[in-house]
Amino acid sequence: MLGKLTLRQKIFSYACLVLLAILILFPIYYMLTVSLKTNRDIYRVPSLLLPNPTLANYAELLGRRGFAVNMRNSLIVAGSATVISVLISCLAAYSLVRLRYRGRTWIGRLILFSYLTPASLLFIPLAVIISRLQLGNTLQGLIFTYLTFAAPLSTWLLMGFFRNVPVDLEEQAMVDGATRLEALFHILLPVIAPGLVAVSVFTFTGAWNELLLALIFTTSPEIRTVPVALQYLITGDVFRWGLIMAGAVVAAVPIMTLYYLSQRFVVQGLAAGAVKA
Amino acid sequence: MRIGVLGTGMVGVAAAGAHDVRQRHRGEGDGHADIEGVVRLAGGHRSGGHYHGAGTEQFLPLYLRFHANKILLGVIVICLLILVVYPFLFGVAISFTNREIGTEGQFVGLANFIYLSRLPSFQKSIVNTLVLVGVVQTMKLVFGLGIALLLNQAIRARQFWRGLILLPWAMPAFVAYLTWKLLYLPQGGAFNVISVGLGFGNIDFLSRELAMPSVILATFWRGFPFWVISFLAALQSVPQEQYEAAAIDGASAWQRFWHITLPGILPVVLVVVLLSTIWTTNSFENIWLITQGGPSDATMTFPVLAYYGLQTLRIGEAAAVSVAMLPVFVTMAFIGVKMLEKE
Repeated sequence: MLGKLTLRQKIFSYACLVLLAILILFPIYYMLTVSLKTNRDIYRVPSLLLPNPTLANYAELLGRRGFAVNMRNSLIVAGSATVISVLISCLAAYSLVRLRYRGRTWIGRLILFSYLTPASLLFIPLAVIISRLQLGNTLQGLIFTYLTFAAPLSTWLLMGFFRNVPVDLEEQAMVDGATRLEALFHILLPVIAPGLVAVSVFTFTGAWNELLLALIFTTSPEIRTVPVALQYLITGDVFRWGLIMAGAVVAAVPIMTLYYLSQRFVVQGLAAGAVKA
Repeated sequence: MRIGVLGTGMVGVAAAGAHDVRQRHRGEGDGHADIEGVVRLAGGHRSGGHYHGAGTEQFLPLYLRFHANKILLGVIVICLLILVVYPFLFGVAISFTNREIGTEGQFVGLANFIYLSRLPSFQKSIVNTLVLVGVVQTMKLVFGLGIALLLNQAIRARQFWRGLILLPWAMPAFVAYLTWKLLYLPQGGAFNVISVGLGFGNIDFLSRELAMPSVILATFWRGFPFWVISFLAALQSVPQEQYEAAAIDGASAWQRFWHITLPGILPVVLVVVLLSTIWTTNSFENIWLITQGGPSDATMTFPVLAYYGLQTLRIGEAAAVSVAMLPVFVTMAFIGVKMLEKE
């Protein structure tokens, strides 16, 4: 498909791309400007421009509104869910890829099936189970339920990475007397380090962005995660869009930075895992 | 050194695993090596390979091999049994009862499903889910493929464009949908600023008629990058020689697309369509943050209805909403597992 384009084709292509860029960037631009506007500027004289930029919304959000607590909750939940699921996934993925034993196919299927099962099909029974375990309204309960999607996701992605590493390296190490776990931790994991980064970023973003389970399992304001805190701002009586967008920016910037830093690996991860067929 | 950073809980598991594996390698009389192995793993000291004559997996009886794997796999299997399989079956069981918060409820047979089938909100939610998924996925397929083909041409700064397209997808979904709700606002929303500026006056983008198209557009915006990037990767893996050979044979652009490009990317397209359809069918944020299912059920979909059901505390009925969708999900998941397993 890569060939010389005629001038007309070129103009058409770039025109499409510019349109696309506007479609992508305009909502983001508007989000940023509204987060820098006062209420008066948002509602009284609505405009696409930004005449009097102010950081008042950010100051109020992080000061009076205690948004830092929500950020901390999200960090704890997403961080713990990521660490736990990446750890158990390394072992599971290694076993599924490198070893042969009865029942392996079925365990593989169980993980795939769990990976495909969305939270919206599980949240009602999970609500009953969590309250029975007395984990309702705790961060631990949330971390626990996040493993429903985090663990299968990271296992599935890691399996893709493991499969791409030739088995010779580990066999060599094991001939030299290394145990399987040493082979895994000292040989295999360093080789797929980029993959580990990708898997961690994926799992972390998944947990950071989760709304439905967090909405159900956290009731008191001091343990709300970021998405829940923001959704309460739009379902409240008074809409404060400047504040909401400031929260959206603060919630999006760390995750998007992470995403772009590991973008190459993330896309590799996708190619190795979900999308490779 | 790696183990050192993994935290104490993990060292326990790693050590147990090391113990087990070492026993298989070295026999029972070598307790010293066991301890050393544990210490080495826990402390991260790695002395060179001086364990000679260790066998590999193949020389062990089958039951021993299986035993070792239990430790590797046990954790995740237990997690998934508790967190996915049990809730899955438990949800089905609840849907046949009149369970409410605080009471176990009794078996009521199909009563919940009969009730739902007559409930206008439920009927509406099924139709809406079908419309939403049908339209959004068609848009993603057409535009996703179109944009991927565009980016696969000899354009300048392809990396830049790819990075740009990733933006909506890199953004947390809840941020994306909150932003789209802002764009649609009757007062202060960007689209109304534009529409008033162009002289069309105020448009209520979240009215009964327009709420669904508005949600569809937002869902498309957030979801299409995944398709473009996947399709682009697939396009770039189609061997270049095939195009050159076809060009020599005088194939037209359309023929090249139909006979080379499409078969080349079809497996990826099918997987992406299936995965994304499962996720879009079950997505909650897009509806909840933009319209909360309203106005008057115009954008009610089944996950949102199930959520409302849970809020009314009638758990049996709420579970029945999700369970009613299970046949569709199980079919898609079954195909999905088959497709992904083929890898």
